[in-house]
Amino acid sequence: MEKSLVTLQQDAHCSSWNYCAQRLAVGSVDGTLSIFDSSDPSSSTFTPTWKSKVHDACIFKVAWVPPEYGDAVACVCADGSCSIWEEVEGHHRVAQPHGWTLCKHFDVHAAQVLDLQFGFCLTSLKMIVAYSNGDVKVYELQDPLELKKWELQAEFRNVIDSLPITGKVSCQSASISWNPQRVESQQPSFVLGFNSDLPKFNSSKVWEFDEAHQRWLPVAELSLPEDRGDQVYSVAWAPNIGRPYEVIAVATSKGIAIWHLGLNPDTDGKLSVEKVALLSGHEGEVWQMEWDMSGMTLASAGSDGAVRLWQSNLNGVWHEQATLETTSS
Amino acid sequence: MHQAGIRNTNTHLSDIVDAPRVAYQRHDFTLPKTLALQNPNAGPRLRLRRLPGPVLAGALIPAAVPVSGTPPGRRTPASPSHGPGGTASASPSSQALHPPETTPVARSWRSASAPESSTTRSEGESPTAPSRPSRCSRARRIPWPRWPGWALGARWEHVMGFSNDISSLLGNPKHAPRSIVEDAKVVLKNVEEPTCLKAAWELIEVFYADKQSQAWLPERLVDWLASYDCLLSTTEGTVYSELVDLQKELATLQVIENYQKYWEGISSALAVGWLHIVVKLLRLHGSYQLDQLGNRETENGLVEAVAVLVSKMPRMRPELADGTLGECFKTKPEFMKAWERWRGQIAKLECSAFWIQCEHDQTREGLRKLLQIMLGNTNSIIDASFNWMELYGLEGMHNLAQKCMQLKPSSQSHELTSLMLGIIGENTEVVLAECSRSFGPWMVAHAIELLTIGSNGAETLLHEEQYNLGGISIEELYRLVYAQVLSSHALTWQASEIAPVYLMSCATQGMRLLEILLYKQPVQQNQILLKTLEICRLYDLDSISSDIMKIAGVHQWKHGRKGSGVFWLQKAQDEVRLNRISQQLFDYVGKSISGNSFKQWEGLIELLGQEAKTVGGLDFLHKYRDFKKSLQQIKDGKASDAARQAVESLILLMKNPSTPQKFWLPLLHDSLKLLRSQPPLLNVSQTNLLLNKLQELSVARSRPDYCEPNLPPEALSAVRLALAMNLGRAFLEE
Repeated sequence: MEKSLVTLQQDAHCSSWNYCAQRLAVGSVDGTLSIFDSSDPSSSTFTPTWKSKVHDACIFKVAWVPPEYGDAVACVCADGSCSIWEEVEGHHRVAQPHGWTLCKHFDVHAAQVLDLQFGFCLTSLKMIVAYSNGDVKVYELQDPLELKKWELQAEFRNVIDSLPITGKVSCQSASISWNPQRVESQQPSFVLGFNSDLPKFNSSKVWEFDEAHQRWLPVAELSLPEDRGDQVYSVAWAPNIGRPYEVIAVATSKGIAIWHLGLNPDTDGKLSVEKVALLSGHEGEVWQMEWDMSGMTLASAGSDGAVRLWQSNLNGVWHEQATLETTSS
Repeated sequence: MHQAGIRNTNTHLSDIVDAPRVAYQRHDFTLPKTLALQNPNAGPRLRLRRLPGPVLAGALIPAAVPVSGTPPGRRTPASPSHGPGGTASASPSSQALHPPETTPVARSWRSASAPESSTTRSEGESPTAPSRPSRCSRARRIPWPRWPGWALGARWEHVMGFSNDISSLLGNPKHAPRSIVEDAKVVLKNVEEPTCLKAAWELIEVFYADKQSQAWLPERLVDWLASYDCLLSTTEGTVYSELVDLQKELATLQVIENYQKYWEGISSALAVGWLHIVVKLLRLHGSYQLDQLGNRETENGLVEAVAVLVSKMPRMRPELADGTLGECFKTKPEFMKAWERWRGQIAKLECSAFWIQCEHDQTREGLRKLLQIMLGNTNSIIDASFNWMELYGLEGMHNLAQKCMQLKPSSQSHELTSLMLGIIGENTEVVLAECSRSFGPWMVAHAIELLTIGSNGAETLLHEEQYNLGGISIEELYRLVYAQVLSSHALTWQASEIAPVYLMSCATQGMRLLEILLYKQPVQQNQILLKTLEICRLYDLDSISSDIMKIAGVHQWKHGRKGSGVFWLQKAQDEVRLNRISQQLFDYVGKSISGNSFKQWEGLIELLGQEAKTVGGLDFLHKYRDFKKSLQQIKDGKASDAARQAVESLILLMKNPSTPQKFWLPLLHDSLKLLRSQPPLLNVSQTNLLLNKLQELSVARSRPDYCEPNLPPEALSAVRLALAMNLGRAFLEE
């Protein structure tokens, strides 16, 4: 039943589907960004429609901007910079089928960008950026029709206490996942974990925006006391179509942990957490995790070259449902 | 010609068998309907198709099922409800009747042109028109009948109706046309092989849903086995496969009663209750041959006596199909009475002296074995049957199943065998797991309807909301899973709109999933966009509809189709973006009022002007365009009328709440010439209005979010001075 949707070149390093899975953005080792489209929505064969060298070094992450803000992707480059590219066809431009232009370039300052994710909030578009020095910055889009103007809204570090951090922190990677729910009554929130040399940075924390005081607060920590320093490779927040709790997957060197997160805060404003499963199966590092749209199946890809699908059975026990192995090494 | 034989027999045996004198005709016998040789080419079949489901592997859905009349997919959302009392259109009987089909909808899907959706779905109605009360919005309120106020009887009846509908949908065995002269040696008819799916469905129906059948379960199982024993042949020996072998040899055999397999075949057929075949085979016995009758009178009499006994076997069931052998009794007392009498006759025949006179050994032994089977001799029955399912069907009692299995252990397990094990064990979870494993999500989602009515335990288990499942019941979970399979394919998602119907029948989580699915639909193609919005409208999903229109608007706007972009943003009532667009236009209009490119923008503003009344921002732009035009005319020298018009436009603009505050100063700055004119063009109250606005603006300037317009620094003071002077002059005038 397998059918090839798209053939990527050898140097492809990362990829990402847009909201409706009709376009694929691919970042390459040489800094090339390619966009793949299908000729019509019913077809499932994708061919490159635009390609350009947008960075000098490897692009290791591409992220689509939510569709309410246009057809645009952010590229995170290995040199620590990142850029946002958008497809625009203006009246003043010559008719060109796919004109992708640079909207914004974030230069390398004090630290390199490790991850970047866009979150949809009711009033504006927010962008969370995690840096190699452990900083987390939240930018907000000023004009809903222009992806040029971003304003720094908040800056913090992935720690629960506010004790000063001495010494230099070095982070290899970071993973951000927004709460995908688009409910008006809910404040924006996301989960963030680091892979760094400072244990207290690493554990995944859930951050929620406090509208009244215009600040971000850590509302939960997804790690048991004995695992607190574990380096986090990847996090993924599951869609919730009506569960009385949220589900978040956190991948560390010990495996993929499935966490339940309560919906109602206690008196301290914290959310209850429960680790319901620790899934082992991947040999080596987990690179990426994605949930299906019902939040019932988790897909994980790792350095062992396999994609594994995980599901919970009727008794709530999580297990590996299927494995997709790469055919060539 | 055979009458002689029968008459003969009767004269000798009438004291034993008081059977009516059946006018026996050799070609008169019909066989169990679906007992058939494999013939995959006979008639339309149910095809099982694997869909690229994102969720679960092994997603099997029945496809290409012909449903009478209209293409079923089209009918789905609008079809009149089937349920008693006209319940929601999402009741199982009306919806589950439409497994996704391929042909008609496939064609319309592929060839659909842009206006197709709006013309066929809602005639003369804009796809984004305000929602009318629809059947489907009712469907949301009454998701999938929970039978709240239903009498139990009505519920049973309804579920059975549902089950029958599904059963017939899964395919009826097609009979080959009956030839006028049947070949006497054909005991098994060539008919289409039934599917395991249908077999499984009917098995569940027998045990859970068919309340009437509880009383005559053994008979139901005999019927079931007659229909589906051939399916079991794939993994183990069956009576069916034995008969198939026998039939092949019948053509070549001369004296069949000498042949061991002939008698074994008859025994087996009798053991599983296929009376027609028994009688038909018996009457192939050589003693019926004309030239033999004289010598073998007694032997023939015995054969016929057994045949008559078999054909008169009492059966407890509501009815017998035409041509089916046996005598039908509806109530247990009647049946028991007849049963005792029948057994009495068998016993009598068994002890009769005629056996000694029968010289043919095989016939004597064969017939006596048949009598033993009819008397219920376990050993004979075990010998005659092939697998425990057959044996079980025969014994027909729950607690005998284990024993039967021990007597005939299976080496390999057939999918139907596994299902039967779950049913016998009264283990709903096993039944579901087997359904899911062997027959896919379609089967599970629909079989639950039967399971819940058949057992209170199952109902509790399947309807109870469970924390582990995310606060939904097993029933809803399986329905969600099947709905996702449907959603993953364009045919069942959009073309036929079946997936939304299933989703909306999931009370707790279906709607959210439908919203996510709708949100993930591409907006680039108008035809798909309209379809998506139509589904939103059918199910009253206003908020998601607005999100989709927003996405469409931004996409169009950013891809050079400004008018279409604004149209969708207005539909979405997206004030934030519309205000941004009007600001962009304002800047542009302000800069290029005299330029040639203004023409291009003027067209757009004109377009907006008609639609923009309800939404702020663009209404203002329309007025601003008029104002700028008047100012232009003043510059061109057509003074007085144009100046009065310009003042009117200015006052309208400043009064209008939709005029963004940041434009107040630029507007007044543009109007300096009007404010300074002598005699004054503005009266006292008009001047006061503008002064008040200026005052408001001064207060606003101290706020942090105030955005300074791109004007010369002295603009504010210049306007203030001009207004003050105009006020003075206006006082003097009045």
